[in-house]
Amino acid sequence: MRKIWTVARTEYLNAIRSKAFIIGIILLPVMMSGSLIVGKLTKDKVDIRPRKLAVVDQTGWLAPKLEARANTRNEKDIFDPVNKEKQVRPAFTIERVDAASADEKLEVTLSDRVRKKDLFAFLIIRSNIVDTAATNTVSYFTETASFMELPNWLNGVLTDEITRKRFEGAGVDQALVQKLTKPVNVRQLGLAEVDQSGQVIKAKETNRMATFMIPFASMMMMFMLVMSSAPALLNSVLEEKMQKIAEVLISSVTPFELMAGKLIGTVFVSLTLSVLYLGGAALIMTQMALTGYVNPALLVWFVVFQLLGLLIFGSIFIAIGSACNEIRDAQSLMSPAMMMIVLPMFCLVPVLESPTSSFSRAISLFPPATPMLMTLRIASKPGPPLWEILLGVLLCAAFTCFCLWAAAKVFRIGILSQGQSPTIGKLIKWVFSK
Amino acid sequence: MALRTKSDMSAAPPSFAVNLVDVTKRFGTQVAVNNLSLQVPTGSIYGFIGPNGSGKTTTIRMILHIFLADSGTVEVLGRQGTRSANDDIGYLPEERGLYKKMTVRRMLLYYAALKGVSEKAAGPEVDRWLERMDLTPWGKKNVEALSKGMAQKVQFISAVLSKPKLLILDEPFSGLDPVNLEVLRSAILDVRKQGTTVIFSTHNMTTAEEMCDYIFMIYRGNKVLDGTLASIRATYGEDTIRLRVQGGRAALQGVEGVEVTRDFGQHLEIRNPGDPQALLQRIAAKARVELFEVTTPSLHDIFVRIARPETKEEANA
Repeated sequence: MRKIWTVARTEYLNAIRSKAFIIGIILLPVMMSGSLIVGKLTKDKVDIRPRKLAVVDQTGWLAPKLEARANTRNEKDIFDPVNKEKQVRPAFTIERVDAASADEKLEVTLSDRVRKKDLFAFLIIRSNIVDTAATNTVSYFTETASFMELPNWLNGVLTDEITRKRFEGAGVDQALVQKLTKPVNVRQLGLAEVDQSGQVIKAKETNRMATFMIPFASMMMMFMLVMSSAPALLNSVLEEKMQKIAEVLISSVTPFELMAGKLIGTVFVSLTLSVLYLGGAALIMTQMALTGYVNPALLVWFVVFQLLGLLIFGSIFIAIGSACNEIRDAQSLMSPAMMMIVLPMFCLVPVLESPTSSFSRAISLFPPATPMLMTLRIASKPGPPLWEILLGVLLCAAFTCFCLWAAAKVFRIGILSQGQSPTIGKLIKWVFSK
Repeated sequence: MALRTKSDMSAAPPSFAVNLVDVTKRFGTQVAVNNLSLQVPTGSIYGFIGPNGSGKTTTIRMILHIFLADSGTVEVLGRQGTRSANDDIGYLPEERGLYKKMTVRRMLLYYAALKGVSEKAAGPEVDRWLERMDLTPWGKKNVEALSKGMAQKVQFISAVLSKPKLLILDEPFSGLDPVNLEVLRSAILDVRKQGTTVIFSTHNMTTAEEMCDYIFMIYRGNKVLDGTLASIRATYGEDTIRLRVQGGRAALQGVEGVEVTRDFGQHLEIRNPGDPQALLQRIAAKARVELFEVTTPSLHDIFVRIARPETKEEANA
């Protein structure tokens, strides 16, 4: 046992002292906070040069309306709401173009003006725009299609004006129609409860964002923790084998002690990561006042399933690493193992949408998928019954024992084998060899 | 475990550090080691020689219980059939195994810890060995910064740090320049003086002759030589003659009974199972003899006689 801890300690220290770990730890929060900071810093760095729009209006009445609406916007809507002096959005200026000559030649002429930066864009409004049966009645021409603010504004303003015109034409009171067609808003609530004193605790309005995000984030975190730790074991073992370190180690420790030490070291690396990530997540949730949506039991089950997931996938990757002689060998054997890790990701949406369905219950009890999918179900409301969680732990623990046993058998033979490229058939043979 | 105390060291050691009895190891249908019996006396330096692939490393791995024998018994430091003696064995494998991204000192402490030596006890030993090997400035550097010779010395330190009772060195001198070779040779002899039994395999027959109390040669899995150098040479008798004649090798053309085994440039070595006086007369009749010395065969000659290509062909026939 002492030697297992010696190996585990060294594996752990090697990992957390590695540049990859330190960069990973620092980079994630830096990237997250960096994007927020950059977003904040660049928020005011908007290109506020005026955008000049030429309008070819065949209706004869829409261009003045557009001009009036643009003027109103330029006076009120392009300034910082706090600092009224500071312009934060570009002004739109309208240039009316004689509609009598609206033909292909005019389109070319206006396109040339856009190319010469004399105009930002131009708009052609057909005379039949009010006709509900007509199509392609408005065309917007630009060479900067990524700038969406102007076409979005035009969409809104034109829809507004044309709808008003249509109502007027039909002799219907638009204000009355809007009042009568007001949409019904269904409030989504949790469940009401009765406290110990018999008082009814009213159901609270559910936070769609929180109820979706917490299960999703829990599973993604589990996926990231497994992905960042288990495959690294393959590289670590392969390096020891390729650099002939394994023989030195095996002269001092048994193959099982070496494998167990490496697995335990990796588990501790992963736990360190999860403490950092979960701590960060808790901080963010406290800031966003979302802590009430997290069941404390989720944290306990998260750690339990994280351990089981790491031992399952860690032992699989360690066995593959020990059997291979070079990275090329490992790549072909890694694919099935990676598929097992990624499988729960394919089931994310159906399980998230319906965590208590037969499919969700069955797939979350399939041991390789249990750590991630059971975590997802526990984080989703109403969560699985306790017996299902315990059954998941039991099945997963049994599968973990099998994986450790099989990996130990493969590791014992593989770690000193040379020359032959391993196949899945050969690994199975090693598992059942004496 | 801390470093061994004097009382541990003074406990009566077994007569044989290694005692193999009828040991056989197969890989599939290939017999790597066949019915091998070998006793390595405690405190001796035992040289393992043999062509590549003859079974030296397999024998060493069985002594370390990295491989388990298919049959026979393996007793190491008085303990039979278990790895329990491994903490008392230092091992330097043929291909060096060092963590490139670890510092020299940290890696040595790790290897010592795997042998059960605490960091506190191993620290001063690491410093002492680094100083002795002239590697003190490299202690804090990553292994990848070391030259091949330095890495070799670091690997040696890792093998002797725990003050083992048995030190197994697989090709310890390969790739070393003469200066470093002398440093390592002297270190091995010092370790032996402190009571450690040393087994080392080598392809360098001169080194084996100079350093080993006993020589063991394995060929195609079978023991073909085992004993002191003198006893092995005596087996072959004084059938070797060192000879220098005017006109060199060409002058010996057609002389009956002359079989040149090695041409050293300055002299020839020939094998003569017959009467040396008669041979001398025959040679003197054809060329002027400058040197004629009757001697026993060198270990190199014995090795070549056993493992030369003709023997292989005969064996295959």
